[in-house]
Amino acid sequence: MNILKSAIVTAAALAFTALVPFAAAGAADKIIIGCTATTDCASAAVAEKEGIFEKNGLDAHMLLIGLNSNIPAALLSNSIQIGGPTPSVFLQAVDGGLDLVAVAGASVSDKSTADTAAVVARPDSGIKTAKDFVGKKVGAPGIGAFLQVLFAQWLIQNGVDPKQVNFVEVTFPTMNDVLKSGAVDAVVTAGPVMANMINSKTGVVVSHYLEELPDGKPQVMLAATRSWADAHPAQLAAFRKSLDEAAKIVNSDPDKAREALSGFTKIPMKVLNTIKVSVSDPKITKEQLDWWVDVMNKQDMLQKKTPDTAALIAK
Amino acid sequence: MNRAAKALAVPALLLVAAEIATRLSGTTSLAVAPPSSVAVALLAALGDGTMLAATRDTLACAFGGLFVGGAIGLVLGLLFGLVRPLDRLMELTVEAIRPIPSVALIPIGMLSLGFGYSFEIAIVAFACVWTMLIMTRAAIGGIEPRLLEVSRALRLSTLQRIFKIVIPAALPRIIVAFRLAAGFALVVAVTVEIAANPQGMGYGILIAQQSLSPQLMLAYLLWIGLVGYGLNVLLSLAQQRLLGRAAMGEVRQ
Repeated sequence: MNILKSAIVTAAALAFTALVPFAAAGAADKIIIGCTATTDCASAAVAEKEGIFEKNGLDAHMLLIGLNSNIPAALLSNSIQIGGPTPSVFLQAVDGGLDLVAVAGASVSDKSTADTAAVVARPDSGIKTAKDFVGKKVGAPGIGAFLQVLFAQWLIQNGVDPKQVNFVEVTFPTMNDVLKSGAVDAVVTAGPVMANMINSKTGVVVSHYLEELPDGKPQVMLAATRSWADAHPAQLAAFRKSLDEAAKIVNSDPDKAREALSGFTKIPMKVLNTIKVSVSDPKITKEQLDWWVDVMNKQDMLQKKTPDTAALIAK
Repeated sequence: MNRAAKALAVPALLLVAAEIATRLSGTTSLAVAPPSSVAVALLAALGDGTMLAATRDTLACAFGGLFVGGAIGLVLGLLFGLVRPLDRLMELTVEAIRPIPSVALIPIGMLSLGFGYSFEIAIVAFACVWTMLIMTRAAIGGIEPRLLEVSRALRLSTLQRIFKIVIPAALPRIIVAFRLAAGFALVVAVTVEIAANPQGMGYGILIAQQSLSPQLMLAYLLWIGLVGYGLNVLLSLAQQRLLGRAAMGEVRQ
């Protein structure tokens, strides 16, 4: 019985030591900024790497999040204090009742970076125009994700009902293989994965559909819970000031942005050097959110058709 | 030695074939890599300490969850096994909760506990409770009735009966349950990390995949396999060494 007893004691001790770090965590005024492995959070990454946060009195650090749609839950549980959701993820979270607010802008659409995303089809799929997508299977990094929502918007603009297209979720790194195997007819893709597919002739670009969208629309924005934003006005002001400075660096010196992104996302520099860094814009406005609400309403993505977008931006 | 060489021949040939195939085909896949670059990535990640730190985090959660869930399952299993009316009372509740896949609790866990150890431990513990509960309960049900008659003839108290007869008789099956639960614990811990929790080996795989390094992703996969294998060997050694013939009797039957 001694064995059993000692096993129980060890178990209790182990469980206790495993739980101890949590009691201590979260007490300090440290800010954890959660973003996914894209170039959208370049301004925050630069602000950390170049010591801008520190200069402005902030103890802020980046954390790489696997899935963008996990960000609202991570914010709510205070695992991260600021996160970089796409506007579609943010608006759906708010629509679902989570009390989140936008605190700053991260990246915006721009003609100069519109060719970094595209819908790419198998060369033998016969897909040439928007109409050809009817009845076809299209892989997207996430249903309701930024690229998929805007692709659906492009279909609508070209007179195609997105409901007539079968969307399936395909992660970026497997897109090349999935397209090659014929499991999907086309993929909505971006960045180095897209370049890889085109260079290896696995697929051909049907449309750089972001080119048909207006400039200055947010791709990723920075959000926090309303309670955190209300309780930390000084930190929020310092955070916005830091992003203003960092965004200037991102837009004028993309190589510096790539270095910061490489440190944060672990994407090798040789891969990052082949892609364009998204344009940074630290502002977020009611008009920008309204544009997204409009896009999402056309696809029936929101229960509440007219959210009070002005109230969704932290003062 | 000869036997070992024979056993290794097929895996070695397969590795060489994979190496040649990936090199010659000039594949552009972001999901496969030649075995040699996987080996290099594995050594590099072990060398810089990142993989060992990830292993520590995953194992801390797997063991934490295993012990918490195992302890709860053991106590409930003993209770239900010994007190039949309680077992019948709780049967529906247990059978209603048990089929919930532990990973389906990830969103709730993430909201209520946030990222970190406690979140992962809670999910792993949920997965481990049921194996221990069901098998402990069954083990008690399967105790030779004559042993219980002996305890009655000897006029043992309830506590004495539990510690002198019930637990020793049920121990071999409980140990098997523990080993099964340990296997689940690692699988669930890695799954939680891939799906949500930014720490450990599962997160390592996810990040390697997203940063387009299939060699590192496969290195993590290989390492998780090795860790799982090592864990099983350790547990089976511990079972033999610590519990001796008492634990082995039932297993060998």
